[in-house]
Amino acid sequence: MKRVLVVDDAATVRLYYRDVLEAAGFAVEEAVNGLEGLEKALADAFDLFLVDVNMPKMDGYRFLSTVRREPALRAVPAIMISTEAKDSDATRAYAAGANLYMVKPVQPDALVRTVALMTGGPVS
Amino acid sequence: MPGPQTMPQPQGIAISDEDFARFQEFFYRKTGISFDAKKRYFVDKRLVDRVEALKLRDFREYFTHLRFQVSGEEVQTLINAMTVNETYFYREEYQFRCLVQSILPELVRRKAAGERLRIWSIPCSTGEEPYSLALYLLEHWEHVDRFDIEIVASDIDTKVLEAARQGRYGERALQYLPQATRRRFFTRVAEDAYQIIDDLRSSIEFTTVNLNDPLQTRRHRDFDVVFCRNLLIYFDDLSRRQAADTIFDALQPGGFCCLGHSESMSRISPLFRVRRFPDAIVYQKPDRGEEP
Amino acid sequence: MPLVKKPTLPAPEPVPDDSFPDDWDLPARLAAPAASVRRAAVRALAETGGGDAARTLCGRLAVETDGPVREAIFLALAAIGGDEVAAGLLALLRHEDPALRNGAIETLQQLPQPVAPRMEALLADPDSDVRIFAVNVAGNLRHPDVERWMLSVLRGDRHANVVAAAIDTLAEVGTEAACADLEQVAQHFPGDAFLAFAQRTALRRIRGG
Repeated sequence: MKRVLVVDDAATVRLYYRDVLEAAGFAVEEAVNGLEGLEKALADAFDLFLVDVNMPKMDGYRFLSTVRREPALRAVPAIMISTEAKDSDATRAYAAGANLYMVKPVQPDALVRTVALMTGGPVS
Repeated sequence: MPGPQTMPQPQGIAISDEDFARFQEFFYRKTGISFDAKKRYFVDKRLVDRVEALKLRDFREYFTHLRFQVSGEEVQTLINAMTVNETYFYREEYQFRCLVQSILPELVRRKAAGERLRIWSIPCSTGEEPYSLALYLLEHWEHVDRFDIEIVASDIDTKVLEAARQGRYGERALQYLPQATRRRFFTRVAEDAYQIIDDLRSSIEFTTVNLNDPLQTRRHRDFDVVFCRNLLIYFDDLSRRQAADTIFDALQPGGFCCLGHSESMSRISPLFRVRRFPDAIVYQKPDRGEEP
Repeated sequence: MPLVKKPTLPAPEPVPDDSFPDDWDLPARLAAPAASVRRAAVRALAETGGGDAARTLCGRLAVETDGPVREAIFLALAAIGGDEVAAGLLALLRHEDPALRNGAIETLQQLPQPVAPRMEALLADPDSDVRIFAVNVAGNLRHPDVERWMLSVLRGDRHANVVAAAIDTLAEVGTEAACADLEQVAQHFPGDAFLAFAQRTALRRIRGG
């Protein structure tokens, strides 16, 4: 099963991604901020990171740039999902190491399609 | 006047699945601790205990109190009730293993032989942790003779510090120590009382320190490793951040901090780098000029 | 057994590397090249307390790039508290650096008294990001008006992400009083599966008891 790490400080958002992605056959783990995300990413292998921008202790950009410096993590694809919609934010996301940038709220079919695309589908 | 037969039965306080989910999300956000389904009974019982202790009507009233109480004290009380806090030798031994296998090898790369290695154990409580550090290093670290190792052990409570200086422990505290270690470092002084040998007792510096008081912590500096286990989780959000800031100052650049097994800097402070070693996740103060 | 040593002499009083001549004033130290000097200056300024210290520290925060110095400033501001601090931190909600913004949000969450009178104005800010951050502050604020503020967002705000943030908070603090407004959400945002999910979740949390 492909494993997705959801990094977002909003409980409802994490619940939503879990709901949608588990129904589509993915395994989902959660983290409330970039720092917890980093700890979980270092402890277990994931196929994809879904990363929010605004979080306490460590924001999404910092999570991504730290991940890209870690040999064990640098090749894991990452989708940054943000409330911000300006073009400059997408540029910033890519500069930090995101493979894709999406704007909230994300609809279920777009989420599943994109996650499947970036991980090669739910089943190994 | 009501007779005994009209005494009201205590109301059973029930916690619905939705109320529990709401509580879980709050508690996880605050502490990083989640409970799996097996723990539900245990958690419910602790929560009901608190509702009754505060003489509140139901769980919702309690949760409102938990969420909105300005002092935040009830959160601390609840965390206390949810966590088992027993101290004994070689508790959370995987971190001692990590110290020897991963942390010290990194630290000594930058130290000359004979240079000092400073370790801070805070809170040290009745001494099991600092003595465990000493024992473990003597038993397991191949380079223990090449460096001066200084262990400072601190606690806010002078009574436990006195007990720590005495170094007397019962079977229960020693139960996870190998027999050979017990024979080497303890003498039996009474029924169920073993005392650490004098050499070890006199080699640890015990100090009274309140981690929240910068004046008291000022003189505790230049540590290579800080063990601050199962303390910060009992502090409120702001005090935790401040304590982590104090630990940051107490560490050498590149120094390491170990927290308790259910604690994480993700609920405490942005100052430290996460380092994942085979035995444990620990936290490192960035080297000079490095980003965390 | 000479392996584990206690220092045989008392450790000399360490000379802090943040010592400097007395006549070098604090605001100048706040801009010193060495981060450790700046951190010490923050502490010294925090001890003086008051509106001046708050303003100076907030001003420095806006340009400070070193993580540990920023953290020292946030902690100093939290200790000083009060109106000036709240105003200074709220201004940072518009900053382009997310680490600074989120540090401000976390610190503001510790200051319910001075933040509360400002909440309504923030929730009416023309910038939707500022409104989201205001909701984020409320999400962890220990103040009895949190539910009321969130309901005002549901009633008046038509930006999906602001409403989403408010619903997330209501899932935790909402009471029966929130149900009527929660039920209206999907109508204002037809076709938005996430908001429908959020609405259902919050209602379930409130009612499922």
